[in-house]
Amino acid sequence: MTSDTGERMLPLEGVRVLSQAIVWAGPFGTMILSDLGADVIEVESIQHLNPTRAAVRHLPDLFMQSPTGAGYLNRDNSEGFWNRSATFNYAKRGHRSITLDLLRPEGLELFYSLVREADVFLENNAADVVEDLKIDWPQLSAINPKLIMVRFPGFGISGPYRHFKGYGATMEAIVGHTMLRGYRDSDPSATPPIYHGDPTAGATVAFAIQSALYARERTGEGQLIELSQGEAIVHHLSYALMDAFMNDRIHDHWGNRHPWMAPYGLFPCKGDDRWLALAVDSDAAFAALAGEMGRPELATEPRFADVSSRYRNQDVLEPLIADWTRQHDDHELMDRLQAVGVMATMVAHQPEMFHDPQLQERGYFIELDHPDTGPRRYPGPMAHFEVNPLTPVRGRAPRLGEHNREVLQDILKLDDAQVQHLLDEQVIGDVYLENAR
Amino acid sequence: MAAPLEGIRVLDLTQGVAGPFATKHFSDYGAEVIKVERPGQGDMARRLGPFPDDRPHLERSGMFLTLNTGKRSVTLDLKTATGQQILRRLAEDADIVVESFRPGTLERLGLGPDVLREVNPRASLVRVSNFGQTGPYRDFNADDMLMYAMGGVLAVTAGEGREPVKIGLYAPLFLAGNVVSAFVMGAFFGARRRGIGERADLSIHEILASSMDRGGTNLVSYGYSGALYFEPRQPQRSSALPAGVYPCLDGYIHILCQLQWWSRFCQLIERPDLVNDDHLAPNLLDINYAPEVDAIFFPWLLQRTKQEAMEAGQAVGLPIAAINTMQDVLNDPQLNARGFFVDVEHPAAGAVRLPGVPLRMSGTPGELRRAPLLGEHTFEILTERLGYDPADVARLEQQGVI
Repeated sequence: MTSDTGERMLPLEGVRVLSQAIVWAGPFGTMILSDLGADVIEVESIQHLNPTRAAVRHLPDLFMQSPTGAGYLNRDNSEGFWNRSATFNYAKRGHRSITLDLLRPEGLELFYSLVREADVFLENNAADVVEDLKIDWPQLSAINPKLIMVRFPGFGISGPYRHFKGYGATMEAIVGHTMLRGYRDSDPSATPPIYHGDPTAGATVAFAIQSALYARERTGEGQLIELSQGEAIVHHLSYALMDAFMNDRIHDHWGNRHPWMAPYGLFPCKGDDRWLALAVDSDAAFAALAGEMGRPELATEPRFADVSSRYRNQDVLEPLIADWTRQHDDHELMDRLQAVGVMATMVAHQPEMFHDPQLQERGYFIELDHPDTGPRRYPGPMAHFEVNPLTPVRGRAPRLGEHNREVLQDILKLDDAQVQHLLDEQVIGDVYLENAR
Repeated sequence: MAAPLEGIRVLDLTQGVAGPFATKHFSDYGAEVIKVERPGQGDMARRLGPFPDDRPHLERSGMFLTLNTGKRSVTLDLKTATGQQILRRLAEDADIVVESFRPGTLERLGLGPDVLREVNPRASLVRVSNFGQTGPYRDFNADDMLMYAMGGVLAVTAGEGREPVKIGLYAPLFLAGNVVSAFVMGAFFGARRRGIGERADLSIHEILASSMDRGGTNLVSYGYSGALYFEPRQPQRSSALPAGVYPCLDGYIHILCQLQWWSRFCQLIERPDLVNDDHLAPNLLDINYAPEVDAIFFPWLLQRTKQEAMEAGQAVGLPIAAINTMQDVLNDPQLNARGFFVDVEHPAAGAVRLPGVPLRMSGTPGELRRAPLLGEHTFEILTERLGYDPADVARLEQQGVI
């Protein structure tokens, strides 16, 4: 305890997490744990690509020119690109990386030894991977009964869809998100996927692990936690879901309209791709909007005087508002309308968010230096803690296998010769093998 | 088996969506969550609906019923000195206080961070707001779509040649609630270690900007290469391989067929002859051949429902998904095989079907219990917990304090 000295002690300091958290869902969860002070060890291998670092061993030039190539520093696909992945280096900050070939007995035994020393193992591989690797709950809980294991493949580990292949788009479609997002005058083909399931599942898992750690203090036992990403994001559509259940009503796409507010939606502003997001929730707010527009009479016109009239006549009302917004700057309208109590904001463009006055004043972006990328800016921890500030204590994300020696020697007490042997045998390493997949 | 968070006491001063969804995680997993509501009106989610037969009723709002499962409701008029005094008494034995008032309000209600530190030094205070407790946007008013816009995600959802289009109603606020629940646990752990309550400030703006969907992923990519990972208005298809949304017998499906899965696709549509077809096979990455591939795919799709197409695709290892309505979701074989939906009996709303707890914990499972009636637990908590005399409680009720 450090309360006497006032020295900082992060909430999860001393909690050791083994992670095979891949793509985005898993990493979003381990980022939260790491920001809270947990010792998160990313268990990778030089035989198998970590999809958060690399989709293929050599990234084709064509891929680098595509939008997704923007995820690598300066779109550079030269050797070592896996240490220059923006999303990996963002989410895996503060983590340690080791590489173990789990398909060989030597690697598997080392993993088992680490499990003995760990509090948590989490993974979101496809449903059968841990069974095939013999690192499933029955094996691991026998090794360490206090272990908390978290599994969260797309649809869970039971039920008819447990083997379903899928990505964000697949998941969103099946649980109803795709149908509800969309233009009122188009079928769903016009709506790109959003990947809402990834951060949702990651954050849910970060909550779950801490809950199980708390329960373990009382029970002395670990447990298996399972999450279906699909189930997690069904909650987020509770409004439409409850309407389907209560009233048998099927919601189609609403565009940017609202079930009862009007006017509501996006209105074009001066400039290219500039919008005002507007949500008028009361007669007073509408009167204030009409005043700013220089059309105060609109507020008393029978067609728009109350919310149900405005709702009925929004096809007429919207162009009147757009004629006005088109002549103005999005920032200006946000400030003016907020000042008179109207819910209105600009539609922020991400490149400009680096200069956003709100984010700047709150110190949202942090800078982390990395030997392969130089100093870069990243979103900081998502909570501002005053007593124990959550600056990432361990700093930047690890290079592939960067902590092999440290982890094997400090935690598993291997000697130099044993580590050298593992390196020689390519059980561990820090460069992907040429045939890595 | 006991629930995992048994013994933790949460004083819940949130309303709406994000805060209550965060504290719902605590009540569903065994913590005691005391929800303070305004007498007569209660949480604004009681007015959000949807309502059975569209008839508004404070006890029958679908949003309230799902967001507040297992919580205990105490009504308090926090504008009165007595109401504020009772609030401070409730804070005395809380481990965590979570609030989602407009910034500055909690201080005016007599339970600001400094007062809480005096009343209960080990209690953590977690504050959730649109833009945080500081900064030039602090007092801005916004709803879910506006937060999605300010978080930077909305701009990059635009389809080809179109304006940005929002996500399903309230979904961004639910995501914020997920993130908040994780940091509430973190604040709680930290406070126990230090013996002194944490003070946490969470902004929905920052959470959405950071999230690994089209949000944080894009921000960091821009910092790495000066370009976004997900540009708006990007074509959903860049080759002749089937990708994106297709119509079928009763709706739409989504498919993503990669080059190495072409033979699976041919197997799916029962055209093994096309695997090595001289005309198509060498040209699959050329988008000019897309109409020909689609012409082969459409007849197969138009004989199948979205569910049949999905199951057939998945059987050969092709990621095909049914684009489901919420009615389909309620009837989904996977969700139902796993018993996801739970029927809960509610005294005012009757039998209510709710989405179940998504976390399945083998040792300490959570449990879904019905949402409280407005003020349902006021009498019990004031008399049993705070030691008020029943006659005093009756007087407070007459005065409109509770």
